[in-house]
Amino acid sequence: MRHHVEILDAKTREKLCFLDKVEPHATIAEIKNLFTKTQGKSLKDEDVLQKLPVGTTATLYFRDLGAQISWVTVFLTEYAGPLFIYLLFYFRVPFIYGHKYDFTSSRHTVVHLACICHSFHYVKRLLETLFVHRFSHGTMPLRNIFKNCTYYWGFAAWMAYYINHPLYTPPTYGAQQVKLALAIFVICQLGNFSIHMALRDLRPAGSKTRKIPYPTKNPFTWLFLLVSCPNYTYEVGSWIGFAIMTQCLPVALFSLVGFTQMTIWAKGKHRSYLKEFRDYPPLRMPIIPFLL
Amino acid sequence: MAAASATAVAKGNGGGGGRAGDASGTRKKKGPGPLATAYLVIYNVVMTAGWLVIAVGLVRAYLAKGSYHSLYYSIEKPLKFFQTGALLEVGIVPSSVVLTSFQVMSRVFLIWAVTHSVKEVQTEDSVLLFVIAWTITEIIRYSFYTFSLLNHLPYLIKWARYTLFIVLYPMGVSGELLTIYAALPFVRQAGLYSISLPNKYNFSFDYYAFLILIMISYIPIFPQLYFHMIHQRRKVLSHTEEHKKFE
Repeated sequence: MRHHVEILDAKTREKLCFLDKVEPHATIAEIKNLFTKTQGKSLKDEDVLQKLPVGTTATLYFRDLGAQISWVTVFLTEYAGPLFIYLLFYFRVPFIYGHKYDFTSSRHTVVHLACICHSFHYVKRLLETLFVHRFSHGTMPLRNIFKNCTYYWGFAAWMAYYINHPLYTPPTYGAQQVKLALAIFVICQLGNFSIHMALRDLRPAGSKTRKIPYPTKNPFTWLFLLVSCPNYTYEVGSWIGFAIMTQCLPVALFSLVGFTQMTIWAKGKHRSYLKEFRDYPPLRMPIIPFLL
Repeated sequence: MAAASATAVAKGNGGGGGRAGDASGTRKKKGPGPLATAYLVIYNVVMTAGWLVIAVGLVRAYLAKGSYHSLYYSIEKPLKFFQTGALLEVGIVPSSVVLTSFQVMSRVFLIWAVTHSVKEVQTEDSVLLFVIAWTITEIIRYSFYTFSLLNHLPYLIKWARYTLFIVLYPMGVSGELLTIYAALPFVRQAGLYSISLPNKYNFSFDYYAFLILIMISYIPIFPQLYFHMIHQRRKVLSHTEEHKKFE
């Protein structure tokens, strides 16, 4: 005879869980498992009630995620900031540098080039947010917008301050260094965009399907042979290029912090690919070919 | 904020699984294995001994000199050694990693980046203020960990750890702030740890401004840590009272 087991909270006497179909010879340990399992991973919108591992009486747990904000809103805000802020420094708006420098222009070509690159980078991000990316989740916690904007806007201001400073020192190896850095930057920006397009094409509009990404005809996507998240690889590359171009330590630090964060994300993504797909290509590393 | 240890209590004082009738199973805490326990006990005993050496050193120097000024020099080396050694305990002791590393980093900062680096403050009385606060706190804290690991924690130690901070914490914070404040003019004068434009890294850093920011940061941080300890005190000391009632 199967038993119904009711589990109450010891302090509040609140009904926490109702388990039916419990075998009479089940141990307390097994009952504990049943209880924690029913509280496990959150259900998806697409899940069908019949297919869930519950009895004839299903108890669904509601968890308030707190105030939410849409991903698109967060992305647009966090990217618009650096675009705008950098320009404030580039145009040497008053109260940043000494008054005699207000609205003056740098005499170094690389400074103008850097402004173009930085602005291009964030315009690209804004356009991708609006037209390219297909988001799995609609929203994220509201506090993220404050955290993210502080990060992006803060670093943008810090970098821009030095690059556009009247006492800025151009790269040690001159035009050669700038040309090389620019090439790295452009290649990585193209690469990053190519990956974003390839990922978009993996997923039909309005769907949330997940498939293994593979290289396409576009040579920039061939990096998929070696890494799970080549978009992050190219992104790090872009910032390294920008750091070499400007020879500015804050840019290098920003690249390092970004690299650390993207590595964490890449490892997570790589792990979920491995969990979801039995036939995931074994050669691939999360973010750096063969290494990381 | 570096004066007292801001920490979470080790649940169940080392050991003890779920009790009968506790269906959620969340109170289980895996103790460290025998080898890890031995390492931890040795570490905590050594640290307790180290801070006792510092305490004794201070007392002897005071008695020898007849004054409490400039006692820093008599315990400079063991202080640097044992406080820096505490870096080893991040992630090892039963307190939260964030809080522990924060505390250790701020202590190490004060020892090396302020007191050691700015020789002129070494004769300040404020240094003695935080050294005393740290010394008493650490002797109690490391004994607490030692006894907890051996499953034989005298109530006195537990009481001391969760009560003395009420005085020691503000005392230590005062000593730290006064020391940093005393260091400021010398940092400004020598341009210590500062780099200005132009330079080929296109970077600048003003250590004087940085120290002022550090001092300001005490304002939001110290109350949080202090009230966290007060909260812990209520939890830990009342919990023990309940236990005593049923014994």
